[in-house]
Amino acid sequence: MKKFWALFFWFWPLVALYLCVIAPGRNWWFPSKPLSTLGHQIDGLFYLILIIVTVTFVGTEFALGYALWKGATKNPSSRAWFSHGSHKLEIVWTIVPAFVLVFISLTQLDVLADIRVLSRFPDSVKEAPVAEVMARQFEWRIRYPKPGTDLMTSPQPGDLYYVNEVHVPAAVPTMINLRTQDVQHAFFVPRLRVKQDAVPGLVIPVWFEIEEAGDYELLCAELCGWGHYKMKARIVAESPEGVSAYLTRLEREQNEDGVQEAETASVE
Amino acid sequence: MRLGLAIMLHTAVLKRAGIAAFLAIVVTGCSDNNASFSISEKTRSLIPEAQAGIAESPGVVALLDQKFGTPQTLKAWMKLPVQWGGAAAKVEVFAADGGEAKVKFTAEEGQTFPEKAGFVNVVTGAGAGKTFSVSSWDAATGEAVLTGLDGGSLAAGDICSIDGGSTIQSGRVLYMRHCSHCHGTAGDGNGPTAQYLYPRPRDYRHGVFKFTSTNDMSKVSRDDLLRVLRYGIPGTYMPSFLLMKDDELTAIVEYVRFLSMRGEFERKLVNELASDFSEDAVESRLKDEQRSDIVGELAKFLAEDLPGVVDGIGAELEETWVAADTEDARIIPSVPRVPDSDESRRRGRELYLSKTLNCADCHGIDGAGNGPQTMIYEKNPVTSVPYNEPGLHDVWDNLNQPRNLHTGIFRGGRRPIDLFCRIHAGIKGSRMPSFKNTPHEDIWHIVNYVLSIPFESEPGATGVAAAPAAAPDAAAAPAAGE
Ligand code: HEC
Ligand code: HEC
Ligand SMILES: [Cu+2]
Repeated sequence: MKKFWALFFWFWPLVALYLCVIAPGRNWWFPSKPLSTLGHQIDGLFYLILIIVTVTFVGTEFALGYALWKGATKNPSSRAWFSHGSHKLEIVWTIVPAFVLVFISLTQLDVLADIRVLSRFPDSVKEAPVAEVMARQFEWRIRYPKPGTDLMTSPQPGDLYYVNEVHVPAAVPTMINLRTQDVQHAFFVPRLRVKQDAVPGLVIPVWFEIEEAGDYELLCAELCGWGHYKMKARIVAESPEGVSAYLTRLEREQNEDGVQEAETASVE
Repeated sequence: MRLGLAIMLHTAVLKRAGIAAFLAIVVTGCSDNNASFSISEKTRSLIPEAQAGIAESPGVVALLDQKFGTPQTLKAWMKLPVQWGGAAAKVEVFAADGGEAKVKFTAEEGQTFPEKAGFVNVVTGAGAGKTFSVSSWDAATGEAVLTGLDGGSLAAGDICSIDGGSTIQSGRVLYMRHCSHCHGTAGDGNGPTAQYLYPRPRDYRHGVFKFTSTNDMSKVSRDDLLRVLRYGIPGTYMPSFLLMKDDELTAIVEYVRFLSMRGEFERKLVNELASDFSEDAVESRLKDEQRSDIVGELAKFLAEDLPGVVDGIGAELEETWVAADTEDARIIPSVPRVPDSDESRRRGRELYLSKTLNCADCHGIDGAGNGPQTMIYEKNPVTSVPYNEPGLHDVWDNLNQPRNLHTGIFRGGRRPIDLFCRIHAGIKGSRMPSFKNTPHEDIWHIVNYVLSIPFESEPGATGVAAAPAAAPDAAAAPAAGE
């Protein structure tokens, strides 16, 4: 029975290792491969931390099993070694994890700065948000500047509006301004690994570079009220020409006066 | 549920109790098996005999059940212009083989076969009333394999309904999931979350919808309802359902129309009875009549006149709801939008302030939604009881304040045609009146002005053309908007 516990604690790190080996092949990790440039960096950090904790977990479990095994097979009459209060040990197991933590925090600084610090954003997007994404209980309201003009913080005549769908160019860096009209929400695009809180009173720039054209799910990741689950929207990444064609269409629709519409209908 | 979970985390004995509590909540909490269409307050104001019916003659409640059913077993009153789903079809070839049968259908005129089919209801012929399940179905050819015949049979020429009611059924399921917590099971605008919202969720039972592209006297069109579902109503709690699939949206629209017609039917029916047979009316009649006489009169009315009344209401519903989807009902401006200019906006402002249109009476001189009308005390038009709070009230008896036009939020949409329709037809059910007699060109001037209000340098900054001396200055100054 004594040996059972040693085997028990050796068993789990083996399970963990096995899972680590088979997981990628079975697609047990993320919803998909990262599809934005920042996503690769973020996933890189994730894997780095995963390796560190796996090594730590496996190491400590084996050591635990080893100690138990030693205890189980020891001559019962021999004396125990009393380690409590050993300064040497205390110092070692304080300093080693501290080094690991400092190492992690230093390595992620760069990525964090790339995500959050405006001056590190790619030059092409710094001054040019393509749209304002306004979170609201319980939907995403989108405002584009009138084609050919810049997005202003306050609405301008000719701005174009939509809801729950935002079109952005693919394969080039893109920035949106994130705001909220009421409570705190969070802009979360799982496949891009983008997640940013929307905070009342702030205009928060968020940038990403989507690598492949396509539809991406945008979710609210901050429990914002009873209708939180409704806050699902779509990001449509397409060629820059596609985006401007879309905006032209939107502009035409938004200026609809019901007369041209009737005329084209009768022509068709 | 949280309580149940918390208990689960404790000792072994409590753990079992916790799981039991948890299961009990799951079982009782999440079923809508007993959902029912609530009966309106108006119906409840009738004497019990008028609600329940007398002897063989159904009363209001029974009629509602006969014509519309319950949420679990909806009934299709075929007269009503609702797309119930499925298709009517005639049997062409029938070849039975044990419990199975190969059948070829031809769609009846104007019907198209549904993509998928799960069951067939027999409408005419020897097997009328029977239901067979469909094990394979080819929408292109109309060939089906039916199972579960149990001795039942079909003959060439029988009329069947294939997957009848599938649209309204899926509309109901989606509505119960996404809408009923605000709009209520019966569409009475009184779901559990409704009491926390202002404006209140729409009560469909009046058959009145605010944001339409139809004339002031017309009902809402299917396209209008679809638009509201896709884009939501900005500035209110009505959310956007843009990401739903088109067929889901059309199914919900049909269900909303179904609920509206049900509500209207109930209202109209009760109106026929209320003047003589409401509790109040009967109480005052009792002064010089016997209750048994009144009930006898009611029995006669229910047996002899009511069937005609029901048909009449059905015909009216059919006519008005069909008309709303025709071109005749649609508002089409006779002139294109007048190009936006300072001049046009000033003309719009002038009209806004004019004695004839008098928008300022409600929306205020500067459009802040604070005109004199917001300060009057109104009475409920039906009961004559004064409302508790000052201001205008809509047909749903809710406070209905004129909009502050500076917010830049237009609930019915910001396209020029949207605002044109708002002014031309008014906002139905609300206190925003129709200005359909105003020349269309003038409406466009007002639209241009209204669209520019959110961008005025200060409230009321748009001058009026009537002050000729001011005009050149105003034109030279930087435009308020663009
Ligand atoms: C969070 C509550 C909420 C939910 C959920 C909701 N609505 Fe609404 N809805 C509202 C409110 C509030 C209004 C009234 C807005 C107004 O009066 O300006 C409204 C108005 C409407 C209208 C009237 C539009 C008009 O022109 O008058 C329709 C139709 C409607 N909702 C349909 C739906 C349907 C269908 C669903 C489900 C798919 C739904 N709503 C879900 C709150 C809700
Ligand atoms: C009797 C009072 C009254 C008058 C007169 C009136 N309105 Fe309104 N108006 C209202 C009310 C009430 C609402 C809000 C309706 C609602 O959404 O329930 C409203 C709403 C509006 C809206 C908002 C539409 C939207 O989509 O959000 C506009 C624009 C508007 N009115 C313009 C006008 C103009 C222009 C005039 C004059 C031609 C005018 N109103 C005259 C009461 C009035
Ligand atoms: Cu949210």
